[in-house]
Amino acid sequence: MTGQLKKLTANYDEPDLHRMEVYERLGGYGSARKAALDMTQEEVLDQLEASGLRGRGGAGFSMGKKASFIPEGTMEKYLCCNADESEPGAFKDRVLMQRNPHQLIEGCIIGAIAAQATRAFIFIRGEYETQAKMLDAAVTEAYEKGYLGSGIFGSQTDLELVVHRGQGAYICGEESALLDALEGKRGNPRLKPPFPANQGLYQGPTLINNVETLCNTPAIIEHGPEWFAAMGVDKSTGTKMVSVSGNVQRAGNFEVELGIPVREIIYGLAGGPPEGRDLKCFFPGGSSAPVLTKEHLDLPFTYEAMAEAGSMLGTASMIVVDDSQPIVPLALNLAGFYRHESCGKCVPCREGTNWTVHMLERIDQGDATPMDLEIMAEVQTNIIGNCLCVLGDSMAMPIGSMIKHFRGEFEQHIEAARAARDREHIRAFSAGELAAAGEAGPA
Amino acid sequence: MARPQIKEISFEIDGREVRAPEGTMLVDAAKSGDVEIPYFCYEPKLGQPVGACRMCLVEIEGMPKLQTSCSTPVKDGMVINTTSDRVKSAQNAIVEFLLINHPLDCPVCDKGGECPLQDISYGWGGGKSRFIEPKRHFRKPLELSPLVAIDRERCILCYRCVRFSQEVAEDYQLVFLERGDHTYVGTHDGRPYVGPFSGNILDLCPVGALTSTAYRFRARPWDVEEAGSLCTLCPSQCNVQLTIRDDSKVLRAFARDNPEVDDGWLCDKGRFGYQAIHSEERLRAPMVRDGSMLREAPWDHALEQAAAALTRAGAGTAALAGGATTNEEAFLLGHLMREALGSPHLDARAGGALDPQQARVLARPDLSARVSDIDHADVILVVDTELVEEAPILDLRVRKAARRNNAKVVTLTGRPSSLDPNATAAVRFAPGAAEAALSALAAELGSGRATGSRLHSRAGCEPGAIGAAAEVLRAAGDVVVLWGERISDGARGASAVDALLAVAGALGIVDRPESGLIEVPAATNARGMREAGVAPGLAPGLTDAPEAGMPAAEIAGALGAGELSALILLHEDPLATHPERRRWQTALDTAATVIAFTDFVTTALRDYATVIFPAESYAEKEGTLTHPDGRLQRVRQAIGHQGQVRPEWSVLAELAGRCGARPDVRSAPQVTQKLFATVGFLDGLTLDEIGGKGVRWQDRDAASNLPRAELPEGTLEVPPELPEGMRLGTVPSLWAGTTVEHAPSLRFLAPVQRAELAPADAHRLGVGSGDEVEVAAGGQRLRATVALRQAMQPGSVFLVSGTADNNATALTNGVPRTVEITKTAGAVNGAGPPAAAPAAPGPGAQPPPV
Ligand SMILES: Cc1cc2nc3c(=O)[nH]c(=O)nc-3n(C[C@H](O)[C@H](O)[C@H](O)COP(=O)(O)O)c2cc1C
Ligand code: SF4
Ligand code: SF4
Ligand code: FES
Repeated sequence: MTGQLKKLTANYDEPDLHRMEVYERLGGYGSARKAALDMTQEEVLDQLEASGLRGRGGAGFSMGKKASFIPEGTMEKYLCCNADESEPGAFKDRVLMQRNPHQLIEGCIIGAIAAQATRAFIFIRGEYETQAKMLDAAVTEAYEKGYLGSGIFGSQTDLELVVHRGQGAYICGEESALLDALEGKRGNPRLKPPFPANQGLYQGPTLINNVETLCNTPAIIEHGPEWFAAMGVDKSTGTKMVSVSGNVQRAGNFEVELGIPVREIIYGLAGGPPEGRDLKCFFPGGSSAPVLTKEHLDLPFTYEAMAEAGSMLGTASMIVVDDSQPIVPLALNLAGFYRHESCGKCVPCREGTNWTVHMLERIDQGDATPMDLEIMAEVQTNIIGNCLCVLGDSMAMPIGSMIKHFRGEFEQHIEAARAARDREHIRAFSAGELAAAGEAGPA
Repeated sequence: MARPQIKEISFEIDGREVRAPEGTMLVDAAKSGDVEIPYFCYEPKLGQPVGACRMCLVEIEGMPKLQTSCSTPVKDGMVINTTSDRVKSAQNAIVEFLLINHPLDCPVCDKGGECPLQDISYGWGGGKSRFIEPKRHFRKPLELSPLVAIDRERCILCYRCVRFSQEVAEDYQLVFLERGDHTYVGTHDGRPYVGPFSGNILDLCPVGALTSTAYRFRARPWDVEEAGSLCTLCPSQCNVQLTIRDDSKVLRAFARDNPEVDDGWLCDKGRFGYQAIHSEERLRAPMVRDGSMLREAPWDHALEQAAAALTRAGAGTAALAGGATTNEEAFLLGHLMREALGSPHLDARAGGALDPQQARVLARPDLSARVSDIDHADVILVVDTELVEEAPILDLRVRKAARRNNAKVVTLTGRPSSLDPNATAAVRFAPGAAEAALSALAAELGSGRATGSRLHSRAGCEPGAIGAAAEVLRAAGDVVVLWGERISDGARGASAVDALLAVAGALGIVDRPESGLIEVPAATNARGMREAGVAPGLAPGLTDAPEAGMPAAEIAGALGAGELSALILLHEDPLATHPERRRWQTALDTAATVIAFTDFVTTALRDYATVIFPAESYAEKEGTLTHPDGRLQRVRQAIGHQGQVRPEWSVLAELAGRCGARPDVRSAPQVTQKLFATVGFLDGLTLDEIGGKGVRWQDRDAASNLPRAELPEGTLEVPPELPEGMRLGTVPSLWAGTTVEHAPSLRFLAPVQRAELAPADAHRLGVGSGDEVEVAAGGQRLRATVALRQAMQPGSVFLVSGTADNNATALTNGVPRTVEITKTAGAVNGAGPPAAAPAAPGPGAQPPPV
């Protein structure tokens, strides 16, 4: 496999694709109409499941299977589209919504039919103002056409769709925190079980899917699950949007067939690190994914291969780090993000992210010893698997992987920074800037 | 929604095979295998687990990750390990994480010695810290409220206090602010956390972050002892644990969980009211009138004086009992009155006597609900009672049923209810029109007993409102009815109770074991006093009294007219709690003898009492009380008698003896025994059987000794039309009364008089919120501050009863009454904090008759 395989983004060069008439001219809403009028809910569900489509928001759970967990019954059911996209390195949902908002709305309709939901919400990251406006305009068009509202496409099915803007917290992308935020509460993750499929929004069964996941559904309904499953390898079917950023020559979004070699993404599509520099490591699935190194470049880009290598495909946000980047500031930057975004509900994440940042600051400022590296590694182990949601792990796993792959560099950094600090103390002391060395502290 | 049936399952924990009820959370189920799992945030009283602290992680076979045992229900065949290396290292890790930002100031922390964080750190922690970074700092300690101090550095953010505020009290005041490691507990706007239940967060906090300003730095756990008893400050009769120092001083009160009574909560009055026990102003020795003065007197002299006066009055004596009079005291008062003095005139109700036959019907076990039935009811019908003021713990109980078990709430009240936001149907009727409202409801429910046309307009209800309530009730299986004693007040009280019974009949309550009525009375032990024979028509055991006496209102008239000459006031001040205050003033003024038992000398007693005996506080008392749901519970002596205070049962017995009929009792338990032997349906009951959790008499075989009483069948009386004008209703305040006035921590809550008006009426009267008005009726007037209430029925005005000044009892007369409201210019309630002002002014200073 080489190059892009444009399915989701096939029509992206079409002018005014965001407008109803253009989208419809290119066959848009045909799948939603078909699902609403010609298919039973079970058929929609079966096709989604048979396609092998896995969640594109991080966890990679089978979309059809998740929808099938929604219990029968008369209670109000909900669909929530997760458009909070706040993971460092991820910027694929943004382009999907901006270029082709109707594709997402059509996906929401199909998802809602599968989940028997009559109310749907798109929870969009607060900073995505342009995208929210475009979605709002598209939703209005869809209501006018009767594709949303009561009796969609003239069927017996009702569907209300609301675009809700978040307030800028990464944690609100975690599905249960998203639900609390939608309900108007503090956006903190909920304890699971109960899972949203059983008790989600306002206690009702709720299907939550990522933007890209839902955007894939119209084509599955149009071309059939076999068509979709024919793309990709193993249990990683279909195409995937990959956001490549960091030290590459051509950063951006690329749609690739799953199973394409990682090297082809980083070097073939994104042009590799700038001239004269070498790859140091990369995050294959956003900042929460443990880093991989050169030895992993020839792995196929699949959920399975990334997991086997000790990382994850996640959101497929490829952050590339070249050999000009020291590891400690990178780790500090990353840990700082998670500390800032920790909701504070559970102990290991709240205290562990805070502690890790303190230690990394000391390492960076020359106030640490190699012992601290041991402690820091253990703190990561103590976080992993012990938190309420996976935000804690999302810091601990990449930090842990950095210590594992770059222990030597950490140690050198500790020694070098200590030496620099000592030199500075001696200089300052001789210059009379310090009364006594004892008062010295990190700047 | 019947109570769930729970089956037992077996599972393995740490290599042992044990059994537990299915669905129990592992953290609790583990106890059946003698395994202790540490936890902080788990507290089932607060609702669903939140899984925040992660202290309770365990290994479950077949699950890759450690699981929180606080949120994992036990299943048959589960295999659990709580001691594996993985679990231990997780426990060590959590303790280490918790302590890195904790100040570790145990030596100066009030929680030290009784702190779960200390205990768990010692028991499950690694015993060392590797954290050398600067700790998190906050300003501390700060007042979270006048009652609670907060030290945010000690807080482990376990969510308990916040969940209590959000999900139990539903006052929505406490929240988490900021996020991550900057998170802290506070209120939205930094205002103090004030609510009737705020003190519960003191019990909930697992660290020393929340401390009682009243208890802070007063003692360490090893300086004190604990004694279980009952709070006797309201009919909820919550179970309390008192912290005692040197056998003589109560330092603190906290909840002693009894799921059948209080769910482990206390209101702030119950929690801080103990301070009044040690008030300087409390009476600690008998007083005898000497001319215009009351002087301290030796016991013998006081008893002699009282006995002589009572003997003189003989059958011309009347008695009122109130408040927390125990069953034993009530029984001995009956003995003193009926046997020694030959007088049948004794009452424990301010609003009029309950018809004896109705009293027996209402006591029928098949018609009564237990408190825990509220939890599983389909519908809870609240009739003319404001639970949060009158029996606060029941308010929490109703909220819990609605929130957690999806029970529907129907409020049928004169005054907007604080439960309206939780209610599926909220019906407002005109003050005093409960009879018509209940008749209308009975009619809507298809009761053949209801008659009369336009019942809803006689009730002053919106058309359709009663129908909506009936619809909710008709669809229900189990219904619990909480009804306020006030509906049975006044001349039409019996008809109103009849209408209530018609509603109960239409709901089929007698056929459903988990449906029933609970009366919310005015006095703490109203039920016990009635059943022990303090009622004008009832002897002990709800049998007809040999000779019917006068109810309270008639006693007032007869004293004023000189037909009666002596009055015994057992924990009662008629000027504070009885309607027709002026009539009572005349009565007290005219009475030759007034013998009182009290802890604080109120103005009325100072002016009129002949002899005053010091009352015991509940911490000094030994006896039993009967909960509104029929549960007998024990009050246990926790401290020695203060000053010269004597057990009141012995004083009553001594008085009876000196008046010629010495009862054969030498100890408190003997009185209890005698009472149980006299009251048929308490036959064979013992103090041991009552134990620490109480016994509902309806649940014992002897309940069949209740005198038979058939449900009424005839048609209801037609309720009267509403009077024209602004109709007066009253609502008691939880914070009214001598306990609050004399408990320094609570004093800031003492109520001032306010007139609650609908916006439309206020507009018509030209008054707004905060304006001062004069409210007048029958030549009496009082002053109040206007408070607008959106949900108030136009044409109604509600005043607070029991305030120190401007008490609404000046205007009430036991029948629906209309009042005139005029705007005034002057100041209301004087200046300064209300409780600091003197209690009710003397007779001369009363509002001048017009
Ligand atoms: C801290 C955190 C942040 C997350 N943020 C996002 C997000 O911004 N967008 C998203 O789709 N999923 C996010 N997720 C994953 C969601 O919880 C959830 O798994 C996903 O929305 C499910 O959709 P999918 O099955 O279609 O992938 C986040 C998870 C965590 C733990
Ligand atoms: S892991 Fe972090 S973000 Fe997730 S619940 Fe715990 S504190 Fe909140
Ligand atoms: S103040 Fe106490 S109860 Fe409240 S969150 Fe902190 S530790 Fe928990
Ligand atoms: S007790 Fe289980 S997470 Fe706190």
